[in-house]
Amino acid sequence: MTIKTSFLNMNLKNPLVLSAGILGVSASTMIRAYNCGAAAVTTKSISITPRQGHKNPTVIAYEKGLMNAVGLSNPGIGAFTEEIKKIRQKNIPLILNTIGKTPQEMAQVAKKGEQAGAGIIELNPSCPNVTHEKPYASDPKLLKELITTVKKRIKIPVIVKLSPNVENIKEIAKSAEQAGADGITAINTVGPGMLIDIAAKKPVLDFKTGGISGPAIRPIAVRCVYDIYETVKIPIIGTGGITSANDAIEMMMAGATLAGIGSAIYYHDISIFKKIAEDMEKWLKQNNYKSVEELIGAAHV
Amino acid sequence: MCEKKKQQHSCVLERKRNTLNDQPFRRLKDYPVGVKITDIITETHDTKTFILDKPIDAKPGQFVMVWIPRIDEKPFTITKSGKHLAITVKKKGKATSAMHSMKKGDILGIRGPYGNGTFDLEKKKKIILAGGGYGTLGLALLLEEATKKNIKVDAIIGADTQKNIIFTDRFKKLGARVTITTDDGTEGKKGFATEALEEKLNARKYDAIYTCGPEIMMRYVLKLGMKYGVEVQASLERWMKCGFGICGGCALDPSGLRVCKDGPVFKTDILKDIEGFGATTRDKSGAKVQWKDMN
Ligand SMILES: Cc1cc2nc3c(=O)[nH]c(=O)nc-3n(C[C@H](O)[C@H](O)[C@H](O)COP(=O)(O)OP(=O)(O)OC[C@H]3O[C@@H](n4cnc5c(N)ncnc54)[C@H](O)[C@@H]3O)c2cc1C
Ligand SMILES: Cc1cc2nc3c(=O)[nH]c(=O)nc-3n(C[C@H](O)[C@H](O)[C@H](O)COP(=O)(O)O)c2cc1C
Ligand code: FES
Repeated sequence: MTIKTSFLNMNLKNPLVLSAGILGVSASTMIRAYNCGAAAVTTKSISITPRQGHKNPTVIAYEKGLMNAVGLSNPGIGAFTEEIKKIRQKNIPLILNTIGKTPQEMAQVAKKGEQAGAGIIELNPSCPNVTHEKPYASDPKLLKELITTVKKRIKIPVIVKLSPNVENIKEIAKSAEQAGADGITAINTVGPGMLIDIAAKKPVLDFKTGGISGPAIRPIAVRCVYDIYETVKIPIIGTGGITSANDAIEMMMAGATLAGIGSAIYYHDISIFKKIAEDMEKWLKQNNYKSVEELIGAAHV
Repeated sequence: MCEKKKQQHSCVLERKRNTLNDQPFRRLKDYPVGVKITDIITETHDTKTFILDKPIDAKPGQFVMVWIPRIDEKPFTITKSGKHLAITVKKKGKATSAMHSMKKGDILGIRGPYGNGTFDLEKKKKIILAGGGYGTLGLALLLEEATKKNIKVDAIIGADTQKNIIFTDRFKKLGARVTITTDDGTEGKKGFATEALEEKLNARKYDAIYTCGPEIMMRYVLKLGMKYGVEVQASLERWMKCGFGICGGCALDPSGLRVCKDGPVFKTDILKDIEGFGATTRDKSGAKVQWKDMN
């Protein structure tokens, strides 16, 4: 029995990957996540120039999940190149998540990332936090333009992160595949949502609204991955509310090749990767699986 | 220690902390809850203590995230635990200026306490504290705890000049033997707090040095601790967003330890390996910057 697997150009020790925006601003935390059991790591969304993001409160947890409006803060690809190199030196499979105001900008970030040693580029066209920037994720035509522009510039695989906050995720996934995307990550945060403090009489996030993640969104993530798997042939990273081996297995049965883990770190801290990997292995043995890959899409047959 | 080993160490350390610490790990809610300011005490020309209508059970070194509605949310060390949470705030920029103009009855949003790495007094009999500038207030709760445990405490309270010396009376009342230093000699000994610390280390044996202040000062304290073979515990500051260990903004290189969750207090074994300790930090975007460009 093995929980080793592969995703596009990556050979992985297990199917667990650190999701974008959790810990991923510096090499040190991503290396730590890897050493605590993650098979691959995704960076924070990186743009061409530094972004300060929104004012605090930017991340909070409520009874059923997390809500964030970090505002895509990041040091910019210039400074971040150093962090990529440090991860590269340790041969840790690295997915560089990119954002940009235009397809050209994202392609530029992707190119620099490729040169620094990133293994895969993940395009983030779906973050709901930034106003006045084109929501590629909800418009198949814009999304196609984005993917083709980036694909033309680089050789490494390009995957696209999809938002659940769209009318028809199948249609979006299909156009991503048609445009040449090598894979899909689903889902980004749900919402946006809002919480109000009744003593202060104000929304608690400074940006007022934020994307929801964690256990609250797991059923939505599973449904999206299930739908996408039915529609496209390219591999999927399923992310959203996974906090246990059970959840990761469920996500893979829905159609994911890898299980992305983010908010779970709030509930169980970084060693959750090791715990999930160990528990998955036990479960697979008990249930007579030969390989973890047998789980992919198992709920569809 | 090889890199691999060090990294495993941080993972093991985390597991150890998580099981040893009684701070509930699976918190159900970590969003700011508005509470009333019940009292405001002026400490110095630019520092005020806010007493809040919120009970808290905090360990020395822990902090709360304080939301100033419509302005910002920032971390503040807990300077009083018990029936009424207290924080002590130096007027610096936008958020702290807004706080300084608040009155009794106004609302601040609180979440926390945060920090699993707290000041550790276990098996200590005689200790010395070294506070620099407003960092001294980060040692107040520790001193209270030490007094309760009948630990003998010497304290050095340092600042650039007299008007920035803080908590002297409070420290004396709690029974610490206080030495004051100012860079310009306007109060106490003229010179740096670290010079007074070295004199003390030369004269006596201490079980540990506890420090909070500008990082450059704490770097020097660490050096002294290593020179004299005395354990150092230092409370660090980094830019914070979540405060509970997931945004990664407050992480240290190269260990990946987070000041908000694995700290804010670290001991010699960790401190000595921090890349750029006393020299660099990270700004809000996550970019590495020099400390001197931050203030
Ligand atoms: C764990 C922790 C505990 C703290 N406890 C206290 C306390 O008990 N009392 C107190 O007065 N302050 C404390 N602080 C610092 C406090 O959060 C800052 O004073 C506050 O952020 C300044 O806010 P401001 O909006 O007034 O200033 P800003 O307008 O945000 O900034 C003023 C200047 O300070 C710099 N700065 C702000 N925050 C930080 C930071 N976290 N790290 C490095 N540089 C920064 C900015 O770059 C800027 O140059 C603590 C910080 C941390 C991380
Ligand atoms: C604090 C925080 C920051 C995030 N930042 C990003 C980001 O920069 N880019 C991105 O594509 N997704 C970001 N996400 C979304 C996550 O990568 C993930 O898609 C989502 O949280 C669902 O997974 P989870 O429930 O396991 O967290 C962020 C999520 C959180 C909680
Ligand atoms: S402040 Fe977010 S990880 Fe420390």
